[in-house]
Amino acid sequence: MTLEEILARRPSPGLPRTYQFPEFERAILPSGMQVLTVHLPGRPLVSANLIVRRGASDEPAARGGVTVLAARALTEGTERYPGLELIEASERLGATLHAEASWDAFSASVDVAAPRLRAALELLAELVLHPTFPEEDVARLRDERVNDLLQARAEPRRRVEQAFAASIYTPDSPYARPAAGDEDTVPRLDRDQVASIHRALLDPARTALVVGGDLTGLDLPGMAAEVFGALSSALGGQPDGATLPAQLARSSIDRTIVRVYDRPGSVQSEVRIGHIGLRRSVPDFHAVQVMAAILGGLFNSRLQMNLREEKGYTYGVGAGFEMRRGAGPFAVRTAVHTAVTVPAIAESLAELRKIRDTRITDTELAAARDFLVGVFPLRFETPGAVVAALGGLFVHSLPDDELGRYRRLVEAVTAADVQTAARDHIDPERVAIVVVGDADAIGHDLEAAAFGELEIVREDVPVETGDLADPAGGAAE
Amino acid sequence: MSAPTIGFTDELLPNGLRVIIAEDHLAPVAAVCIWYDVGSKHEVDGKTGFAHLFEHVMFQGSRHVAKTEHMSLVQAAGGTMNGTTWLDRTNYFETMPSHQLELALWLEADRMATLLDALNQANLDNQREVVKNEKRSSYDNRPYGQWFHKLQAHVFPVPHPYNHPTIGSMEDLDAASIDDVATFFRTYYAPNNAVLAIAGDVDPAQARAWVERYFGSIPANPAIPALGDLSLPPTLGGEVREVVEDRVPLARHYFGFRAPRFGDPRSDAMEVAAQILAGGKGSRLYRRLVREDRVAQDVAFFSLGLVGGASIVAGQATVRPGVALDVVEKAFEDELDQLGREPVTDDELARARALIETYELEALQRVDERADRLAMYATLLDDPDMINRQLDRYLAVTAADIQGVAAEFLGPDNRVVLTYVPAVENESEGTAA
Repeated sequence: MTLEEILARRPSPGLPRTYQFPEFERAILPSGMQVLTVHLPGRPLVSANLIVRRGASDEPAARGGVTVLAARALTEGTERYPGLELIEASERLGATLHAEASWDAFSASVDVAAPRLRAALELLAELVLHPTFPEEDVARLRDERVNDLLQARAEPRRRVEQAFAASIYTPDSPYARPAAGDEDTVPRLDRDQVASIHRALLDPARTALVVGGDLTGLDLPGMAAEVFGALSSALGGQPDGATLPAQLARSSIDRTIVRVYDRPGSVQSEVRIGHIGLRRSVPDFHAVQVMAAILGGLFNSRLQMNLREEKGYTYGVGAGFEMRRGAGPFAVRTAVHTAVTVPAIAESLAELRKIRDTRITDTELAAARDFLVGVFPLRFETPGAVVAALGGLFVHSLPDDELGRYRRLVEAVTAADVQTAARDHIDPERVAIVVVGDADAIGHDLEAAAFGELEIVREDVPVETGDLADPAGGAAE
Repeated sequence: MSAPTIGFTDELLPNGLRVIIAEDHLAPVAAVCIWYDVGSKHEVDGKTGFAHLFEHVMFQGSRHVAKTEHMSLVQAAGGTMNGTTWLDRTNYFETMPSHQLELALWLEADRMATLLDALNQANLDNQREVVKNEKRSSYDNRPYGQWFHKLQAHVFPVPHPYNHPTIGSMEDLDAASIDDVATFFRTYYAPNNAVLAIAGDVDPAQARAWVERYFGSIPANPAIPALGDLSLPPTLGGEVREVVEDRVPLARHYFGFRAPRFGDPRSDAMEVAAQILAGGKGSRLYRRLVREDRVAQDVAFFSLGLVGGASIVAGQATVRPGVALDVVEKAFEDELDQLGREPVTDDELARARALIETYELEALQRVDERADRLAMYATLLDDPDMINRQLDRYLAVTAADIQGVAAEFLGPDNRVVLTYVPAVENESEGTAA
C-alpha cells in the first residue's frame, strides 16, 4: 500500500476496556466523623484529605475571608511543633501539608508514600486540631492578602472576575466578593477571629477523611480513629449557622448592564458576560454539562469556533457554570483584541441566544456526550483526582453512586434536554457585560452598540510609589 | 519507597523516526507524545515566533483531516490533546482511552506526512491573529508580563538564539508567509527530526505495527540544517541591571543567572539548590524574606532546563509596600551568597531529597507525563533512560555539590537584576504596547 492509501483510511476504535469509578468504603467513627477509603492497587503514593463541610459561604459577612485566612494560618505552628517545625517534620516525610478553604469547604491534605501515611496523618491531625495561630504570623498572612488584593486590581484577569461577581450578585450576597475577602473585610481580620472560626470548623459531624491509594495492609478506619480521636464536638463546632443557599446568591440585575473598568492603554479587553448560574444540586446537572460543553467547554465549542477559529478575535473563549452549594456564576470568559471588543460581545450574545433558540445537531450532541463519557476514566488516573472527587460527593451531600452513574446519565441526555437546559438556565436578555479595558478606545462603540445601560468606572489603581533606594523605608514593623 | 523502574523499548525506524514504547496497564489510558527537535532557537532574525505560529498551523488540518478536526476527533474519542513550543523544541500530545490509540497515531502521521495539502492563506491569517492575541493576553496585557523576555535577552546576548522570545514579535508574525510555513515544514517536520513516545495501556507489538504502518513510509529529510555553535562562556562575567516601569502596584525583583545546561550533573545540584532556596515554606528564601524579615510578599527560585550551550535559573521576590527595594534585593542575594559560602545542613538536604522524591513519583504516576519525559530525554539528551536515573541523580547531590554550583553561578559576576517598579501615572499613558 502506498502512504496515501494508508492514510486515506481512518482507523476505527478498538474495544473499550470496561471502566468503573473505583469502589470506596465508608466508615463512621464514634464521633460521627466519616472515613472514606478507596483502595487503588499499584498506586504507592497515597492522597489523604480531611474535609469539613463548612466554608467561606458560612462566615459572617463582616469577616469575609476569615476562613481562608484560618486555613493559611494553620501551617504557622502547633502546640507540639511551634513555628516551622510542623512544616519541617512533614518535609522529612517527603510530604507537603496543605490547607485551604473554598466557598463550600475547608480542607487539609497531604500526599505521601504509603509506609509513611500514619506519620503524615498524625501531622495532619496536629495541624487541624492544635494550631496556635501566633498573632504576628496571622497579621503577616492578613497583610499578604491585602497586598494580593492590590495585585489583583492591576491584573486584568483577576480584576474582571472580581468586578463580574460584584456586578451579578447583590452586595449582601457573600458571593459578591472573593472567597478570600476583599479590601473592606480583610484589613479588619485578626487572630481571635481566626481562632474562633477554626473552633467552628471542628465539628466531626461535618468532617470526612478521604484517603486513596494502594492501602494494602492498612486499616484506615482504625488509624483514623486513633489519630483523629481528639476531634469531638466538645472542641467547638457549630451544629448550624450555615448560610442558606438562597441567601448566598441574589441577583442584582434585571436587565442587561454594561460595565467598563477603565485600564488606559490596554491592548486587550478582558470580557465576562453572564449572570447568576446554578447550584450543584440542580436536577438536570448532566444536561447542563452537555450544554455547557457544546457552548463553551469543548476545544471546538461554538464560542471557540466562532470567536477564535473563524474570527481570530481571541486566543481562547470559554463558558460554563461554577456550581457551588448556592448558585455560582454562569459566565462567558474571554480576552479579545481591543479593536474587536464590540463584535466579540455581539457574537457571544448571539451564541447564547442560538443555543436556546435552535436545537443542537445530532453531531454536536454526540461530540459532547462522547467526550464527557470517554474522558471520564482519564480524569481519575491518580489517587489525588479520585480523592478530590469523593471529597466533592461529601461536601455536596451527593449520593454514593453519583460518580458511578455519571456516564450512564450523560449518555441519556438528548438534544431536547440540552435546549431545555439552555432555556432554563441562560438568559441572554438579562446579563452583566463586564469589561476591563481601554474605556476611551471602546466606550463610544459600546454606547452605539446599546447592549444595555453603560457605566464606565474610572478608578485609580493604587500604587506603591517608593523611592528606588530609601534606606529609611527599612523592613516592616 | 523506591521509584518503580519504567520499562520501555527504544528503536529507530529506517526513516529515522525514534519510537519509544512504555507499557503500563494500571489505567485504561494511552498517551502519545511527539517531540520535534525544533524550537525558537532555530529561528533567524526577522522570523521570530515562527516555530510557535507553526505549531498552531499544525491544528489547521492536513490532507485527510479538516481544519480543527484534529481536536474534534480526539475529544469525541474521549481524549485530550495540545501542543507546546519552547526554546529547544516543539511537542504535540494526545492522551486517549487506550482503545483509541490508533486514532492518535494516524492523526500525528497524517499531519507529519501531508500538512501542506491543507495549508492556505485564510488559515494562516486566522492563526496569526490567534497567536497575536495569545501574545497580548499572556505577555503584553499582563503586569510584569515581559520579565522572562528581558531576562533571556540579558542572559543570552545577541547573537545567541535564546536571546529572543518564543512568542516572537508582532512585526515578524505579521511578515510570516505561506512560503515560510512550507519551508519550515519541509525542513524540520521530518521523521528523522522527531521522537514518538507512547506510554500506558498498550500492546507494544500492536503499537509498533501501527507506528510502522502510519509513519514508516514518510520520507526523511536528509538535509536538516545543523544549529551553529551555541556554546557560551559559563558565566556572564559581570552584573546586568535593568529597571522597568510598569503598571504594577508592587515592585518586584527578578533575578537571572546563566547556568549549566540540562543534563550536566551540575544542573542536578542546581535543582536541589532551588528546592532548598525556595521550595515551600521550609525553604531559606521564604523563611528569611517572607516569614522572618517580612520584606517580601512572595519568593521563587527555579531552573529551566535548556540544552543550547547553557541554561538559565531565575528567581523573584515581590517587595512588600513600605519596604525599600534594596533591602529585599540584598536579603535575596545574601541568601544566595550564603549558599555558596557554607554547606547546607544535613537536615535541609534530607528534607529537599524527600520532597523531590515525592514530586518525581507524583509526576510519573500519569502516563502522559511518562510519554512526555521519555520523548524529552530522548530529544534533548539522546538518553530516554534518564527517566529512570534522574531521581537517583538528584538524590546523589551532596552539600558540597550545592555549595559549588551556588558559588560558581549565583554570585554577582553572573547576575541579572531586573526590577519592576510602579509607573508614575501620567507617564504610563499609551505606553502599554
